[in-house]
Amino acid sequence: MDRRRRRVNRYVDALLRDQRPSGGVPDADDLGALTVAIDMVSARPQAGMPHPRFVERLEARLREQTQGEFRRAPELSRRLVLRAGGLAAAAAAAGVVTDRLVAEHAPAATREDLAVDGGQWHAIAAVDAVPVGRPLRFSTAAVEGVIVNHGSGFQALMAVCTHLGCTLQLDTERQRLGCPCGQAAFGLGGEVLVDLRTQMLRPLPRIPTRVRDGMIEVHVA
Amino acid sequence: MIRPVEGGPRLGTFDDMAPLDWEAVYRDNIASIYRLMYSKVGNQPDAEDLTSQVFLGALPHLRSGACGGEIHRYLLATARTVLAEHWRRRLGVQVTTLDEEMVQRGESTTDEARELDRSHQVHQLLARLPGNYRSILELRFLSGCSVRDAANRMGVSVGNAKVLQYRALRRAAELGREFA
Repeated sequence: MDRRRRRVNRYVDALLRDQRPSGGVPDADDLGALTVAIDMVSARPQAGMPHPRFVERLEARLREQTQGEFRRAPELSRRLVLRAGGLAAAAAAAGVVTDRLVAEHAPAATREDLAVDGGQWHAIAAVDAVPVGRPLRFSTAAVEGVIVNHGSGFQALMAVCTHLGCTLQLDTERQRLGCPCGQAAFGLGGEVLVDLRTQMLRPLPRIPTRVRDGMIEVHVA
Repeated sequence: MIRPVEGGPRLGTFDDMAPLDWEAVYRDNIASIYRLMYSKVGNQPDAEDLTSQVFLGALPHLRSGACGGEIHRYLLATARTVLAEHWRRRLGVQVTTLDEEMVQRGESTTDEARELDRSHQVHQLLARLPGNYRSILELRFLSGCSVRDAANRMGVSVGNAKVLQYRALRRAAELGREFA
């Protein structure tokens, strides 16, 4: 019993010093005690935040392994830079001159809709190609978007996460758009459903949408 | 039936991904994966090793684009395997695991609500322990006392404090199982 106790206590000592535990293997009956110790250590305030030097080091390794694919933001294509959130600043930085943002104040967060000066209406699909519950993804030179049939009418949204600009994925089962890069999710009205960050996300910008001659059109650059 | 528009915009599916922004993916996931790993091993060196293994291990898959953009979920699935292998090598048995359902849902236990929840659970567990068991764990884990300091504060010998710590952790594990 003494030996078992010493092993568990040594393990605990290492955890409390934030060191890698070493030494003998604790008895199978003591594994629950180790789990409790791990839970308690990691439940301490401020426990478990990655050290900035580690974050930098691993990023450097990944950049090396991806051989240039792991690009810094300024090297991204203009289309990818054109994202919601800092959309206006990004557009200006990327030399996109036609976009302005129309902000409206919603109760939860400010939605920024896309409005394009000098853009044009693009026909995307026939109205019967976008039934209720079956959104349609589209791309233009400037915008990654999605058209949703709300029953009462069609609305196009930018299919780009308002956090870091990743292209959103459709979860048809749950009728929402999920971010593949994180845990954000948006409803088919563009509203934020899941926002696990301290910074509040903006809803998805709406793109001007109309129906002409049986075709759904969006107004983009 | 989708009618493609001649000379118009390109229609695509949701699997049709834009080129991956590696930096965004990394910045968006590094803290969450690290904290998840920390919560499963309880120390910095192991958490850093395992986090590195997750990102480096997931890289070829992410590069191939085979994950169809389910990046976070794929990182969690990789984390699950990496953690299992860690315990297999270290102790030959899984001390902590990553829940399969959680991986499928693409959730991690690292958001603030869950952090608070875990802290709440730890406090609930402590509250159920007998007084001296609760005291030794609070002094050691929450107040950061050495065994000697904890013994002094409790008015017991150092040897006694070590025995109390061991028994308190075992009792807490039993209570945890009872209330699971």
